[in-house]
Amino acid sequence: MINHHSITEYSADKQKYTENMFYDLWNSRELVLCFFLREISGKYRQSFLGYIWAIIPALTTVFAASYIKNNNIINIGNTDEISYPVYVITGITCWQLFSIGLTRTTQCLANSQAIITKINFCRETLVFAAFGESVFEFLIRIPLIAVIYVWYGICPTWQALYIPVVLFFLSLFTIGLGFFLTLINGVFRDLANSLSLLLTFGMLLTPALFSPSVSKLNYINPISTFVISIKSLAFDGTISNPKSLTFLCIISIIIFLTGWRFFRIAIPRIAERV
Amino acid sequence: MSEIILKVNNLSKKYCRDLKRSMMYGCFDIIKDALAIPTNHNKLRKNEFWSVSDISFDLKRGECIGIIGPNGAGKSTLLKMLNGIIKPDKGSISYKGRMGALIEVGAGFQPILTGRENIYINGSILGLSKTEIDRQFNNIVEFSGLEEFLDTPVKNYSSGMRVRLGFSIAAHLDPDILLVDEVLAVGDLAFQAKCRNRIMELVNRGTSIIFISHNMNLVNHLCSSVIVLQKGKAIQQLPSIEAIDKYKEICSNFVSKKMNNTGEVIIESIETFVNENKTNKLNPEEDLCVHINYNFIKCIDNPVFVIYITNSEGIHICSIRSNLDDVNFGTLHGKGTIEIVFPKINLLPNTYNLNFAVLDQDSFSMYCIYSNAKIIQVIGGHNVDGVVILAHKWNKM
Repeated sequence: MINHHSITEYSADKQKYTENMFYDLWNSRELVLCFFLREISGKYRQSFLGYIWAIIPALTTVFAASYIKNNNIINIGNTDEISYPVYVITGITCWQLFSIGLTRTTQCLANSQAIITKINFCRETLVFAAFGESVFEFLIRIPLIAVIYVWYGICPTWQALYIPVVLFFLSLFTIGLGFFLTLINGVFRDLANSLSLLLTFGMLLTPALFSPSVSKLNYINPISTFVISIKSLAFDGTISNPKSLTFLCIISIIIFLTGWRFFRIAIPRIAERV
Repeated sequence: MSEIILKVNNLSKKYCRDLKRSMMYGCFDIIKDALAIPTNHNKLRKNEFWSVSDISFDLKRGECIGIIGPNGAGKSTLLKMLNGIIKPDKGSISYKGRMGALIEVGAGFQPILTGRENIYINGSILGLSKTEIDRQFNNIVEFSGLEEFLDTPVKNYSSGMRVRLGFSIAAHLDPDILLVDEVLAVGDLAFQAKCRNRIMELVNRGTSIIFISHNMNLVNHLCSSVIVLQKGKAIQQLPSIEAIDKYKEICSNFVSKKMNNTGEVIIESIETFVNENKTNKLNPEEDLCVHINYNFIKCIDNPVFVIYITNSEGIHICSIRSNLDDVNFGTLHGKGTIEIVFPKINLLPNTYNLNFAVLDQDSFSMYCIYSNAKIIQVIGGHNVDGVVILAHKWNKM
């Protein structure tokens, strides 16, 4: 691993940001894993229920939403073709991959200020590791989803196997956005506070709990597009919105790459100021 | 000739004094960088200053260079640039191999995890692969002396233990170039000795070292040459002893003369003579003669003259009172001069301040106090820890 002959250069004039972006990440893969393990093993060590905390919020949301629906408190549109709890858990899980991922990535830079200003390492590993936490919690929820599907006797279509592909693009989208937000949050700490508000509101703009037909906003909101596609893949075996999904996947790649590049450009400037 | 392992060319870095403005400049710079608009880094914007300016030097394999300078001279900025944490505004750095840093060790510890887990995490952050840590693990633990506490969460460690663990990890990086910033003052004496030995071990193995410290004896012993920084500029790269003298001279200029008096007595000037020459530089073997030129505006009986010598850290080295020496000057009025001679000064090479006071014959009421009135520089002789050279004799029994 150690190369005693490699030459490193820092210069005011040369800008080497993209050339070695993937190479750097590959070299730091152990570090990503390490940060990821540090977070997840530290997080639940002082709790009795441990990892079960990853599914409790989703479960409560399902109960709350079912209660609201059964008592006709709000109009959630027509979701009759599928059992409502199944509908909710599918939507919520996808939404949480995004929302938890975005929250963690946004906070990661501010949380690691001590090492950023003192140690030179590949800083984007922090962002990837932070998103990894969200993926980890997502994976913990899968058995819960399986239980709910079985309970209600629903078998997803075979096209549901395409869902990971959609989730992959959702992840790129989230990480890309996270790159920008974590930089902003590194400087202005107000962002982390407003983000949780925005995400609560955002969940209501996304057809996680209700049918997409309830609001027109659902067709503009990028996360909705992902959620709608995943639901239609799981329940109908089709993609109800292929054009907008394709468009969004391309956008995701662009956001991911520009976010990453921008992060690399900005991080030395941030490190000298925080 | 050994190969040059680190090359620093015209390195400069500017900072902004004002936080809000600094953030604003930062945003502009990021946008400019992102859009690849060339920035004119030569110009200082409002409220900016050069923290490090136009520094060049080469480091050879196995060489040890010291960087000294008063606080705020840009030492840490320079080190952060070398370490790649911040980007230079001008100039370039290039080096071969791996750069390790002993700067603020222990950053990145996760308090809730155990020492064992933190060794792996911290090691990875510092750039070690898992296999390397596996290989070095026992050495790290042994070096830190924390075998018993390996499975205790780091939050229960004392601050000294944390630093020891941090240092032990960082010291096992096996770098080609090691940056050391004032960390040798950590832990208890036994651990400090260990740290020094470890650094010597690395030097003997061919690691090059850049060493920042305020401890001149360490600098002198470890480094072959020293860069003296002042206000971001490198004054010179000199052999250690000359550089240390230079540094002491700079530091002594920061000490300001201060005279307070009641208006009855004024010390007008202080003159120092060595071998009848008016100078303030002498070697430990020479005699120092000090002239106090006073002006007694009021007529005072038997005033007491006090002279005390302080070192650059402000510590009193000696005080001399004329009344304790049974010296009586009688009634003084108007201008005059008092002479005091120190035969064979016997102070170790350093910069010292002469301070004066004139007291009433009750040796309590003060007429005049003149602090840091004169600087004397003792040069030559040996650089060792301490202040004075006591007369001594060796015998084999």
